Amino acid sequence: MTLTESRPGHPRSRQPAIIAHQVTRAFGDRPVLDGLDLSVDADEFVALLGRSGTGKSTLLRILGGLDPEYGGDVLVPAKRSVVFQESRLIPWQRVLPNVVLGLEPGPGGRSALARQGLDALEEVGLGDQARAWPVTLSGGEAQRVALARALVREPQLMLLDEPFGALDALTRARMHHLLQDLCARHRPAVLLVTHDVDEALLLADRAVVLVDGRISLDVAIDLERPRWRGDPGFVALRDRLMVELGVEEPRGPGGRSRGGVEGSAEP
Amino acid sequence: MATTEILRPPPPAPASVIEVGTGRDLVRPTQDRPSRRSRRVPRQVRRLVGPLLVLGLWQLVCSLGVFSSVEVASPLAVVDAGRQLWATGELQTNLLISLQRVAEGLVVGVAAGVVLAVISGLFHRGEDLVDPIIQAARSVPILGLVPLAIIWFGVGETPKVFLIALGCTFPVYINTFAAIRGVDSKLVEAGQTFGLRRWGLVRRVILPGALPGFLVGLRFALVSSWLIVVVAEVINAKSGIGYLINEAQSWNRTDIIMLGLAIYAVLGLVADAIVRLLERRLLTWRRGFTGS
Repeated sequence: MTLTESRPGHPRSRQPAIIAHQVTRAFGDRPVLDGLDLSVDADEFVALLGRSGTGKSTLLRILGGLDPEYGGDVLVPAKRSVVFQESRLIPWQRVLPNVVLGLEPGPGGRSALARQGLDALEEVGLGDQARAWPVTLSGGEAQRVALARALVREPQLMLLDEPFGALDALTRARMHHLLQDLCARHRPAVLLVTHDVDEALLLADRAVVLVDGRISLDVAIDLERPRWRGDPGFVALRDRLMVELGVEEPRGPGGRSRGGVEGSAEP
Repeated sequence: MATTEILRPPPPAPASVIEVGTGRDLVRPTQDRPSRRSRRVPRQVRRLVGPLLVLGLWQLVCSLGVFSSVEVASPLAVVDAGRQLWATGELQTNLLISLQRVAEGLVVGVAAGVVLAVISGLFHRGEDLVDPIIQAARSVPILGLVPLAIIWFGVGETPKVFLIALGCTFPVYINTFAAIRGVDSKLVEAGQTFGLRRWGLVRRVILPGALPGFLVGLRFALVSSWLIVVVAEVINAKSGIGYLINEAQSWNRTDIIMLGLAIYAVLGLVADAIVRLLERRLLTWRRGFTGS
Protein backbone atom coordinates (compact mmCIF):
# COMPACT_ATOMS: atom_id res chain seq x y z
CA MET A 1 0.00 0.00 0.00
CA THR A 2 2.82 2.40 -0.79
CA LEU A 3 2.17 5.31 -3.03
CA THR A 4 4.34 5.82 -6.06
CA GLU A 5 7.51 7.77 -5.45
CA SER A 6 7.64 11.38 -6.54
CA ARG A 7 8.75 11.88 -10.12
CA PRO A 8 11.14 14.67 -10.95
CA GLY A 9 9.39 17.73 -12.26
CA HIS A 10 6.25 17.18 -10.25
CA PRO A 11 5.70 19.77 -7.56
CA ARG A 12 5.63 18.06 -4.18
CA SER A 13 2.27 19.50 -3.28
CA ARG A 14 0.55 17.65 -6.13
CA GLN A 15 1.74 14.35 -4.81
CA PRO A 16 -1.15 12.46 -3.24
CA ALA A 17 -1.02 11.26 0.35
CA ILE A 18 -4.46 9.65 0.46
CA ILE A 19 -6.46 8.24 -2.40
CA ALA A 20 -9.72 6.66 -1.33
CA HIS A 21 -11.99 5.38 -4.04
CA GLN A 22 -15.57 4.22 -3.49
CA VAL A 23 -14.89 3.10 0.07
CA THR A 24 -17.66 1.16 1.77
CA ARG A 25 -17.91 -0.23 5.25
CA ALA A 26 -20.93 -1.72 6.99
CA PHE A 27 -21.44 -2.93 10.53
CA GLY A 28 -23.99 -5.68 10.27
CA ASP A 29 -26.77 -4.33 8.07
CA ARG A 30 -25.90 -0.72 8.77
CA PRO A 31 -23.75 0.88 6.08
CA VAL A 32 -21.47 3.51 7.61
CA LEU A 33 -19.35 4.43 4.64
CA ASP A 34 -21.18 4.24 1.35
CA GLY A 35 -19.07 4.86 -1.72
CA LEU A 36 -16.81 7.51 -0.23
CA ASP A 37 -14.23 9.29 -2.41
CA LEU A 38 -11.45 11.35 -0.88
CA SER A 39 -8.03 12.46 -1.94
CA VAL A 40 -5.54 14.42 0.11
CA ASP A 41 -2.32 15.90 -1.21
CA ALA A 42 1.04 15.62 0.46
CA ASP A 43 1.54 18.45 2.99
CA GLU A 44 -2.15 19.28 2.86
CA PHE A 45 -4.04 19.67 6.14
CA VAL A 46 -7.60 18.40 5.78
CA ALA A 47 -10.25 18.48 8.48
CA LEU A 48 -12.90 15.79 8.34
CA LEU A 49 -16.11 16.99 9.95
CA GLY A 50 -19.26 15.12 10.71
CA ARG A 51 -21.81 14.51 13.38
CA SER A 52 -21.14 11.67 15.78
CA GLY A 53 -21.88 8.27 14.31
CA THR A 54 -21.32 9.38 10.72
CA GLY A 55 -18.26 7.20 10.25
CA LYS A 56 -15.42 9.70 10.71
CA SER A 57 -13.50 7.39 12.98
CA THR A 58 -14.36 4.41 10.81
CA LEU A 59 -12.70 6.08 7.84
CA LEU A 60 -9.70 7.04 9.91
CA ARG A 61 -9.29 3.47 11.17
CA ILE A 62 -9.39 2.20 7.60
CA LEU A 63 -6.75 4.72 6.54
CA GLY A 64 -4.65 3.82 9.58
CA GLY A 65 -4.68 0.14 8.67
CA LEU A 66 -6.67 -0.85 11.75
CA ASP A 67 -9.70 -2.10 9.86
CA PRO A 68 -9.20 -4.51 6.95
CA GLU A 69 -12.93 -5.15 6.46
CA TYR A 70 -13.68 -2.38 3.97
CA GLY A 71 -14.79 -2.33 0.35
CA GLY A 72 -13.39 -0.13 -2.40
CA ASP A 73 -9.77 0.86 -2.82
CA VAL A 74 -7.49 2.88 -0.58
CA LEU A 75 -3.89 4.05 -0.98
CA VAL A 76 -1.92 5.65 1.84
CA PRO A 77 1.81 6.18 2.46
CA ALA A 78 3.71 3.44 4.25
CA LYS A 79 4.98 5.95 6.81
CA ARG A 80 1.94 7.16 8.68
CA SER A 81 1.00 7.57 12.28
CA VAL A 82 -2.10 8.05 14.36
CA VAL A 83 -2.98 10.21 17.35
CA PHE A 84 -6.11 8.99 19.10
CA GLN A 85 -8.53 10.85 21.31
CA GLU A 86 -7.07 9.15 24.36
CA SER A 87 -3.31 9.26 24.41
CA ARG A 88 -3.08 5.45 24.46
CA LEU A 89 0.34 5.51 26.05
CA ILE A 90 1.47 2.14 27.38
CA PRO A 91 1.11 2.67 31.15
CA TRP A 92 3.93 0.30 32.11
CA GLN A 93 6.51 1.98 29.94
CA ARG A 94 8.05 5.32 30.74
CA VAL A 95 7.51 8.25 28.43
CA LEU A 96 10.60 7.83 26.24
CA PRO A 97 10.07 4.12 25.43
CA ASN A 98 6.48 5.03 24.62
CA VAL A 99 7.66 7.61 22.10
CA VAL A 100 9.99 5.19 20.30
CA LEU A 101 7.57 2.26 20.68
CA GLY A 102 7.90 -0.20 17.82
CA LEU A 103 10.86 1.56 16.20
CA GLU A 104 13.88 -0.56 15.34
CA PRO A 105 17.25 0.91 16.31
CA GLY A 106 18.95 2.18 13.16
CA PRO A 107 22.67 2.24 12.33
CA GLY A 108 23.29 4.49 15.34
CA GLY A 109 21.97 1.83 17.71
CA ARG A 110 19.79 2.30 20.76
CA SER A 111 21.36 5.55 21.87
CA ALA A 112 20.63 7.18 18.52
CA LEU A 113 17.03 6.02 18.77
CA ALA A 114 16.76 7.42 22.28
CA ARG A 115 18.25 10.70 21.01
CA GLN A 116 15.57 10.82 18.31
CA GLY A 117 12.86 10.20 20.88
CA LEU A 118 14.26 12.90 23.16
CA ASP A 119 14.37 15.36 20.28
CA ALA A 120 10.70 14.67 19.57
CA LEU A 121 9.89 15.18 23.25
CA GLU A 122 11.83 18.46 23.26
CA GLU A 123 9.76 19.56 20.29
CA VAL A 124 6.53 19.14 22.21
CA GLY A 125 8.12 20.77 25.25
CA LEU A 126 8.40 17.64 27.39
CA GLY A 127 12.13 16.90 27.23
CA ASP A 128 12.28 16.73 31.01
CA GLN A 129 9.55 14.09 31.27
CA ALA A 130 11.37 11.33 29.39
CA ARG A 131 11.61 9.13 32.48
CA ALA A 132 8.15 9.86 33.87
CA TRP A 133 5.42 7.25 34.02
CA PRO A 134 2.40 8.06 31.83
CA VAL A 135 0.07 7.98 34.83
CA THR A 136 1.78 11.09 36.23
CA LEU A 137 1.09 13.20 33.14
CA SER A 138 -1.83 15.58 32.75
CA GLY A 139 -4.25 15.08 29.85
CA GLY A 140 -2.55 17.74 27.77
CA GLU A 141 0.92 16.38 28.49
CA ALA A 142 -0.15 12.87 27.57
CA GLN A 143 -1.48 14.13 24.24
CA ARG A 144 1.78 15.96 23.62
CA VAL A 145 3.65 12.71 24.20
CA ALA A 146 1.25 11.04 21.77
CA LEU A 147 2.09 13.78 19.24
CA ALA A 148 5.81 13.20 19.81
CA ARG A 149 5.26 9.48 19.32
CA ALA A 150 3.54 10.20 16.00
CA LEU A 151 6.17 12.73 14.85
CA VAL A 152 9.28 10.73 15.69
CA ARG A 153 8.32 8.37 12.87
CA GLU A 154 8.59 11.27 10.40
CA PRO A 155 5.26 10.31 8.88
CA GLN A 156 4.13 11.33 5.42
CA LEU A 157 0.60 11.16 6.75
CA MET A 158 -0.68 11.98 10.23
CA LEU A 159 -4.13 10.75 11.14
CA LEU A 160 -5.61 12.64 14.09
CA ASP A 161 -8.78 11.21 15.61
CA GLU A 162 -10.27 14.03 17.69
CA PRO A 163 -6.93 14.36 19.46
CA PHE A 164 -7.97 17.36 21.53
CA GLY A 165 -11.55 16.32 22.17
CA ALA A 166 -10.94 15.35 25.78
CA LEU A 167 -8.91 18.44 26.70
CA ASP A 168 -10.12 21.60 28.40
CA ALA A 169 -10.52 24.73 26.27
CA LEU A 170 -7.29 26.43 27.37
CA THR A 171 -5.16 23.35 26.87
CA ARG A 172 -6.83 22.77 23.52
CA ALA A 173 -5.92 26.27 22.34
CA ARG A 174 -2.29 25.67 23.31
CA MET A 175 -2.32 22.32 21.51
CA HIS A 176 -3.64 24.02 18.36
CA HIS A 177 -0.62 26.32 18.32
CA LEU A 178 1.74 23.43 18.96
CA LEU A 179 0.20 21.35 16.19
CA GLN A 180 0.46 24.23 13.71
CA ASP A 181 4.13 24.73 14.58
CA LEU A 182 4.88 21.04 14.24
CA CYS A 183 3.07 20.77 10.91
CA ALA A 184 4.84 23.84 9.57
CA ARG A 185 8.17 22.22 10.40
CA HIS A 186 7.54 18.63 9.32
CA ARG A 187 5.00 19.17 6.55
CA PRO A 188 3.18 15.84 6.74
CA ALA A 189 -0.21 15.43 5.14
CA VAL A 190 -2.76 15.62 7.96
CA LEU A 191 -6.28 14.27 8.23
CA LEU A 192 -7.88 15.69 11.35
CA VAL A 193 -11.14 14.11 12.42
CA THR A 194 -13.11 16.53 14.53
CA HIS A 195 -16.63 17.64 15.34
CA ASP A 196 -15.40 21.10 16.28
CA VAL A 197 -15.97 23.44 13.33
CA ASP A 198 -13.81 26.19 14.83
CA GLU A 199 -10.94 23.78 15.30
CA ALA A 200 -11.20 22.77 11.66
CA LEU A 201 -11.26 26.39 10.51
CA LEU A 202 -8.33 27.38 12.70
CA LEU A 203 -6.05 24.59 11.54
CA ALA A 204 -6.96 23.12 8.17
CA ASP A 205 -6.36 24.03 4.52
CA ARG A 206 -9.53 22.23 3.51
CA ALA A 207 -12.64 20.98 5.25
CA VAL A 208 -14.67 18.01 4.15
CA VAL A 209 -18.01 17.07 5.67
CA LEU A 210 -19.13 13.48 5.98
CA VAL A 211 -22.88 12.90 5.69
CA ASP A 212 -24.58 9.57 5.07
CA GLY A 213 -21.33 7.77 4.37
CA ARG A 214 -20.07 10.16 1.72
CA ILE A 215 -18.29 13.49 1.45
CA SER A 216 -21.15 15.96 1.08
CA LEU A 217 -19.10 19.15 1.12
CA ASP A 218 -15.49 19.78 0.22
CA VAL A 219 -14.40 23.36 0.76
CA ALA A 220 -11.02 25.08 0.71
CA ILE A 221 -10.26 27.30 3.71
CA ASP A 222 -8.43 30.21 2.11
CA LEU A 223 -8.02 32.28 5.21
CA GLU A 224 -4.81 34.03 6.14
CA ARG A 225 -2.89 32.70 9.09
CA PRO A 226 -2.86 33.28 11.97
CA ARG A 227 -6.59 32.90 11.88
CA TRP A 228 -9.10 34.76 13.98
CA ARG A 229 -12.54 33.53 14.98
CA GLY A 230 -14.04 36.97 14.33
CA ASP A 231 -12.74 37.25 10.77
CA PRO A 232 -15.73 37.64 8.39
CA GLY A 233 -14.44 34.92 6.11
CA PHE A 234 -14.12 32.64 9.15
CA VAL A 235 -17.67 33.40 10.25
CA ALA A 236 -19.06 32.81 6.77
CA LEU A 237 -17.34 29.46 6.48
CA ARG A 238 -18.45 28.46 9.94
CA ASP A 239 -22.05 29.22 9.06
CA ARG A 240 -21.79 27.22 5.90
CA LEU A 241 -20.27 24.21 7.64
CA MET A 242 -22.79 24.42 10.47
CA VAL A 243 -25.65 24.31 8.01
CA GLU A 244 -24.05 21.35 6.27
CA LEU A 245 -23.78 19.61 9.63
CA GLY A 246 -27.47 20.29 10.25
CA VAL A 247 -27.03 22.92 12.95
CA GLU A 248 -28.95 26.18 12.53
CA GLU A 249 -27.26 28.83 14.63
CA PRO A 250 -29.50 31.40 16.28
CA ARG A 251 -29.17 34.80 14.64
CA GLY A 252 -28.32 37.86 16.68
CA PRO A 253 -30.69 40.82 16.74
CA GLY A 254 -31.25 41.99 13.19
CA GLY A 255 -29.66 38.83 11.87
CA ARG A 256 -26.08 38.29 10.91
CA SER A 257 -25.38 38.48 7.22
CA ARG A 258 -23.12 35.83 5.84
CA GLY A 259 -19.68 37.28 5.37
CA GLY A 260 -20.79 40.36 7.24
CA VAL A 261 -18.28 42.36 9.24
CA GLU A 262 -20.10 42.25 12.57
CA GLY A 263 -19.48 38.56 13.27
CA SER A 264 -18.72 37.79 16.88
CA ALA A 265 -15.50 36.12 17.92
CA GLU A 266 -17.19 33.25 19.70
CA PRO A 267 -19.96 30.98 18.48
CA MET B 1 -19.75 41.95 66.27
CA ALA B 2 -20.89 38.39 66.66
CA THR B 3 -19.84 36.73 69.86
CA THR B 4 -19.65 33.26 68.41
CA GLU B 5 -17.18 30.98 70.06
CA ILE B 6 -14.74 29.90 67.44
CA LEU B 7 -12.10 27.39 68.31
CA ARG B 8 -8.61 27.50 66.86
CA PRO B 9 -7.43 24.06 65.79
CA PRO B 10 -4.78 22.70 68.12
CA PRO B 11 -1.12 23.57 67.59
CA PRO B 12 0.28 25.17 64.48
CA ALA B 13 -2.53 24.62 61.98
CA PRO B 14 -2.52 26.80 58.83
CA ALA B 15 -1.52 30.30 59.81
CA SER B 16 -4.46 31.91 61.55
CA VAL B 17 -4.48 35.30 59.88
CA ILE B 18 -8.18 36.07 60.05
CA GLU B 19 -9.30 37.50 63.39
CA VAL B 20 -11.61 35.17 65.27
CA GLY B 21 -15.03 36.74 65.35
CA THR B 22 -14.73 38.39 61.96
CA GLY B 23 -17.25 36.03 60.38
CA ARG B 24 -20.50 34.83 61.89
CA ASP B 25 -20.74 31.14 62.69
CA LEU B 26 -17.72 30.35 60.59
CA VAL B 27 -15.28 27.62 61.40
CA ARG B 28 -12.06 26.57 59.75
CA PRO B 29 -12.66 23.70 57.33
CA THR B 30 -10.48 21.19 59.13
CA GLN B 31 -11.44 22.24 62.63
CA ASP B 32 -13.36 19.12 63.62
CA ARG B 33 -10.85 16.71 62.21
CA PRO B 34 -8.52 15.13 64.73
CA SER B 35 -5.04 16.50 64.36
CA ARG B 36 -2.76 14.16 62.45
CA ARG B 37 0.01 14.84 64.91
CA SER B 38 -1.75 12.99 67.70
CA ARG B 39 -1.48 9.69 65.82
CA ARG B 40 2.13 8.92 66.57
CA VAL B 41 1.91 5.11 66.59
CA PRO B 42 3.05 3.68 63.25
CA ARG B 43 0.50 1.62 61.39
CA GLN B 44 2.58 -1.59 61.53
CA VAL B 45 2.70 -1.39 65.31
CA ARG B 46 -1.02 -0.69 65.55
CA ARG B 47 -1.74 -3.76 63.45
CA LEU B 48 0.09 -5.89 66.04
CA VAL B 49 -2.20 -4.84 68.87
CA GLY B 50 -5.05 -7.24 67.96
CA PRO B 51 -2.94 -10.40 67.65
CA LEU B 52 -1.02 -9.54 70.83
CA LEU B 53 -4.28 -9.12 72.74
CA VAL B 54 -5.41 -12.56 71.58
CA LEU B 55 -2.08 -14.08 72.63
CA GLY B 56 -2.32 -12.46 76.04
CA LEU B 57 -5.86 -13.69 76.53
CA TRP B 58 -4.88 -17.17 75.42
CA GLN B 59 -1.97 -17.28 77.88
CA LEU B 60 -4.22 -15.96 80.65
CA VAL B 61 -6.89 -18.59 80.05
CA CYS B 62 -4.25 -21.35 80.06
CA SER B 63 -2.54 -20.03 83.19
CA LEU B 64 -5.91 -20.00 84.99
CA GLY B 65 -6.22 -23.71 84.19
CA VAL B 66 -9.45 -23.46 82.17
CA PHE B 67 -8.18 -26.16 79.77
CA SER B 68 -5.86 -29.07 80.40
CA SER B 69 -2.48 -28.89 78.66
CA VAL B 70 -3.58 -31.70 76.32
CA GLU B 71 -6.63 -29.73 75.17
CA VAL B 72 -4.88 -26.41 74.60
CA ALA B 73 -1.18 -25.57 74.97
CA SER B 74 -0.38 -22.09 76.21
CA PRO B 75 1.67 -19.72 74.04
CA LEU B 76 4.61 -20.12 76.40
CA ALA B 77 4.38 -23.92 76.15
CA VAL B 78 4.38 -23.63 72.36
CA VAL B 79 7.49 -21.46 72.45
CA ASP B 80 9.11 -23.96 74.78
CA ALA B 81 8.30 -26.86 72.44
CA GLY B 82 9.85 -24.88 69.64
CA ARG B 83 13.01 -24.34 71.63
CA GLN B 84 13.30 -28.07 72.43
CA LEU B 85 12.77 -29.15 68.84
CA TRP B 86 15.23 -26.54 67.63
CA ALA B 87 17.85 -27.88 70.05
CA THR B 88 17.51 -31.41 68.70
CA GLY B 89 17.57 -30.07 65.14
CA GLU B 90 14.21 -31.66 64.28
CA LEU B 91 12.51 -28.33 63.70
CA GLN B 92 15.05 -27.04 61.18
CA THR B 93 15.24 -30.26 59.13
CA ASN B 94 11.49 -30.68 58.90
CA LEU B 95 10.92 -27.02 58.18
CA LEU B 96 13.47 -27.07 55.38
CA ILE B 97 11.89 -30.15 53.85
CA SER B 98 8.42 -28.56 53.87
CA LEU B 99 9.83 -25.37 52.38
CA GLN B 100 11.58 -27.31 49.67
CA ARG B 101 8.40 -29.16 48.73
CA VAL B 102 6.43 -25.95 48.54
CA ALA B 103 9.15 -24.24 46.50
CA GLU B 104 9.43 -27.09 44.00
CA GLY B 105 5.68 -27.41 43.63
CA LEU B 106 5.32 -23.66 43.22
CA VAL B 107 7.96 -23.40 40.54
CA VAL B 108 6.49 -26.25 38.51
CA GLY B 109 2.87 -25.20 39.05
CA VAL B 110 3.35 -21.50 38.38
CA ALA B 111 5.37 -22.22 35.25
CA ALA B 112 2.69 -24.60 33.98
CA GLY B 113 -0.07 -22.11 34.81
CA VAL B 114 1.67 -19.29 32.97
CA VAL B 115 2.47 -21.36 29.89
CA LEU B 116 -1.09 -22.66 29.64
CA ALA B 117 -2.54 -19.19 30.24
CA VAL B 118 -0.39 -17.71 27.49
CA ILE B 119 -1.44 -20.46 25.07
CA SER B 120 -5.10 -19.95 25.93
CA GLY B 121 -4.89 -16.19 26.13
CA LEU B 122 -3.12 -15.54 22.86
CA PHE B 123 -4.69 -18.12 20.57
CA HIS B 124 -8.35 -18.93 20.21
CA ARG B 125 -7.44 -22.45 19.13
CA GLY B 126 -5.29 -22.76 22.22
CA GLU B 127 -8.19 -21.62 24.34
CA ASP B 128 -10.50 -24.18 22.74
CA LEU B 129 -7.95 -26.89 23.43
CA VAL B 130 -6.71 -25.98 26.90
CA ASP B 131 -9.49 -24.13 28.66
CA PRO B 132 -12.12 -26.90 28.87
CA ILE B 133 -9.53 -29.32 30.24
CA ILE B 134 -8.42 -26.89 32.93
CA GLN B 135 -11.98 -25.96 33.84
CA ALA B 136 -12.88 -29.62 34.27
CA ALA B 137 -9.68 -30.55 36.12
CA ARG B 138 -10.02 -27.62 38.45
CA SER B 139 -13.42 -28.84 39.63
CA VAL B 140 -11.79 -31.97 41.07
CA PRO B 141 -10.81 -31.34 44.70
CA ILE B 142 -7.02 -31.64 44.74
CA LEU B 143 -7.03 -33.47 48.04
CA GLY B 144 -9.23 -36.13 46.51
CA LEU B 145 -6.28 -36.91 44.28
CA VAL B 146 -4.03 -37.91 47.17
CA PRO B 147 -4.71 -41.68 46.90
CA LEU B 148 -4.21 -41.55 43.14
CA ALA B 149 -0.97 -39.60 43.51
CA ILE B 150 0.36 -42.24 45.90
CA ILE B 151 -0.49 -45.05 43.48
CA TRP B 152 1.13 -43.16 40.61
CA PHE B 153 4.21 -41.81 42.29
CA GLY B 154 4.70 -43.93 45.43
CA VAL B 155 5.46 -42.37 48.78
CA GLY B 156 8.51 -40.25 47.96
CA GLU B 157 8.72 -36.56 47.20
CA THR B 158 7.10 -36.75 43.78
CA PRO B 159 3.44 -37.15 44.81
CA LYS B 160 3.71 -34.17 47.21
CA VAL B 161 5.37 -31.91 44.68
CA PHE B 162 2.88 -33.09 42.06
CA LEU B 163 -0.13 -32.22 44.21
CA ILE B 164 1.27 -28.81 45.15
CA ALA B 165 2.15 -28.05 41.54
CA LEU B 166 -1.34 -29.02 40.44
CA GLY B 167 -2.88 -26.83 43.12
CA CYS B 168 -0.77 -23.86 42.00
CA THR B 169 -1.42 -24.27 38.30
CA PHE B 170 -5.12 -23.47 38.44
CA PRO B 171 -5.17 -20.12 40.22
CA VAL B 172 -2.21 -18.90 38.17
CA TYR B 173 -3.86 -20.08 34.97
CA ILE B 174 -7.28 -18.60 35.68
CA ASN B 175 -6.02 -15.17 36.74
CA THR B 176 -3.31 -14.83 34.09
CA PHE B 177 -5.67 -15.94 31.33
CA ALA B 178 -8.32 -13.43 32.41
CA ALA B 179 -5.68 -10.71 32.67
CA ILE B 180 -4.32 -11.39 29.18
CA ARG B 181 -7.83 -11.16 27.78
CA GLY B 182 -8.43 -8.06 29.85
CA VAL B 183 -5.54 -6.06 28.41
CA ASP B 184 -7.00 -2.89 26.89
CA SER B 185 -7.56 -3.58 23.20
CA LYS B 186 -6.97 0.12 22.54
CA LEU B 187 -3.39 -0.28 23.71
CA VAL B 188 -2.91 -3.34 21.53
CA GLU B 189 -4.28 -1.33 18.62
CA ALA B 190 -1.95 1.58 19.37
CA GLY B 191 0.97 -0.85 19.48
CA GLN B 192 -0.05 -2.21 16.08
CA THR B 193 -0.28 1.25 14.55
CA PHE B 194 3.19 2.06 15.75
CA GLY B 195 4.74 -0.97 14.16
CA LEU B 196 4.82 -3.62 16.88
CA ARG B 197 4.60 -7.07 15.34
CA ARG B 198 3.01 -10.03 17.06
CA TRP B 199 5.92 -10.94 19.32
CA GLY B 200 6.57 -7.29 20.13
CA LEU B 201 2.93 -6.84 21.13
CA VAL B 202 3.09 -9.90 23.37
CA ARG B 203 6.34 -8.82 25.00
CA ARG B 204 5.77 -5.08 25.34
CA VAL B 205 2.01 -4.77 25.72
CA ILE B 206 0.13 -7.97 26.49
CA LEU B 207 2.32 -9.76 29.03
CA PRO B 208 3.23 -6.67 31.07
CA GLY B 209 -0.45 -5.75 31.02
CA ALA B 210 -1.33 -9.16 32.41
CA LEU B 211 1.23 -8.93 35.21
CA PRO B 212 -1.17 -7.58 37.88
CA GLY B 213 -3.53 -10.49 37.23
CA PHE B 214 -0.67 -12.96 37.35
CA LEU B 215 0.39 -11.64 40.76
CA VAL B 216 -3.13 -12.12 42.09
CA GLY B 217 -2.95 -15.70 40.83
CA LEU B 218 0.43 -16.13 42.49
CA ARG B 219 -1.04 -15.10 45.83
CA PHE B 220 -3.80 -17.68 45.57
CA ALA B 221 -1.20 -20.25 44.50
CA LEU B 222 0.86 -19.58 47.63
CA VAL B 223 -2.17 -20.11 49.83
CA SER B 224 -3.09 -23.38 48.18
CA SER B 225 0.51 -24.63 48.20
CA TRP B 226 0.61 -24.39 52.01
CA LEU B 227 -2.81 -25.97 52.28
CA ILE B 228 -1.76 -28.92 50.17
CA VAL B 229 1.61 -29.45 51.80
CA VAL B 230 -0.05 -29.76 55.22
CA VAL B 231 -2.46 -32.42 54.06
CA ALA B 232 0.10 -34.30 52.00
CA GLU B 233 2.50 -34.40 54.93
CA VAL B 234 -0.12 -35.43 57.46
CA ILE B 235 -1.42 -38.28 55.35
CA ASN B 236 1.75 -39.65 53.95
CA ALA B 237 5.20 -38.53 54.99
CA LYS B 238 8.22 -39.31 57.09
CA SER B 239 9.32 -35.70 57.33
CA GLY B 240 8.07 -32.14 57.18
CA ILE B 241 6.06 -29.95 59.48
CA GLY B 242 2.92 -31.94 58.74
CA TYR B 243 4.68 -35.13 59.78
CA LEU B 244 5.81 -33.45 62.99
CA ILE B 245 2.20 -32.53 63.75
CA ASN B 246 0.97 -36.03 62.99
CA GLU B 247 3.60 -37.60 65.24
CA ALA B 248 2.76 -35.20 68.03
CA GLN B 249 -0.86 -36.31 67.86
CA SER B 250 0.11 -39.88 68.78
CA TRP B 251 1.90 -38.59 71.88
CA ASN B 252 -0.78 -36.06 72.84
CA ARG B 253 1.79 -33.27 72.41
CA THR B 254 -0.65 -30.42 71.80
CA ASP B 255 2.18 -27.93 72.18
CA ILE B 256 3.99 -29.36 69.13
CA ILE B 257 0.78 -29.50 67.10
CA MET B 258 0.13 -25.86 67.83
CA LEU B 259 3.75 -25.02 67.10
CA GLY B 260 3.37 -26.59 63.66
CA LEU B 261 0.20 -24.60 63.03
CA ALA B 262 1.90 -21.41 64.15
CA ILE B 263 4.77 -22.08 61.76
CA TYR B 264 2.34 -22.55 58.87
CA ALA B 265 0.68 -19.26 59.78
CA VAL B 266 3.98 -17.38 59.92
CA LEU B 267 5.18 -18.89 56.63
CA GLY B 268 1.89 -17.92 54.99
CA LEU B 269 2.32 -14.35 56.18
CA VAL B 270 5.93 -14.24 54.97
CA ALA B 271 4.93 -15.56 51.54
CA ASP B 272 2.21 -12.94 51.28
CA ALA B 273 4.64 -10.20 52.26
CA ILE B 274 7.05 -11.36 49.55
CA VAL B 275 4.35 -11.15 46.88
CA ARG B 276 3.37 -7.72 48.11
CA LEU B 277 6.98 -6.62 47.82
CA LEU B 278 7.05 -8.05 44.30
CA GLU B 279 3.91 -6.12 43.44
CA ARG B 280 5.42 -2.92 44.72
CA ARG B 281 8.56 -3.45 42.67
CA LEU B 282 6.91 -4.64 39.47
CA LEU B 283 3.87 -2.38 39.41
CA THR B 284 5.53 0.97 40.12
CA TRP B 285 3.95 2.38 36.99
CA ARG B 286 0.53 2.18 38.63
CA ARG B 287 1.37 4.69 41.29
CA GLY B 288 3.68 6.58 39.04
CA PHE B 289 6.77 6.42 41.21
CA THR B 290 9.74 7.56 39.16
CA GLY B 291 12.25 6.20 41.63
CA SER B 292 14.98 8.44 42.93
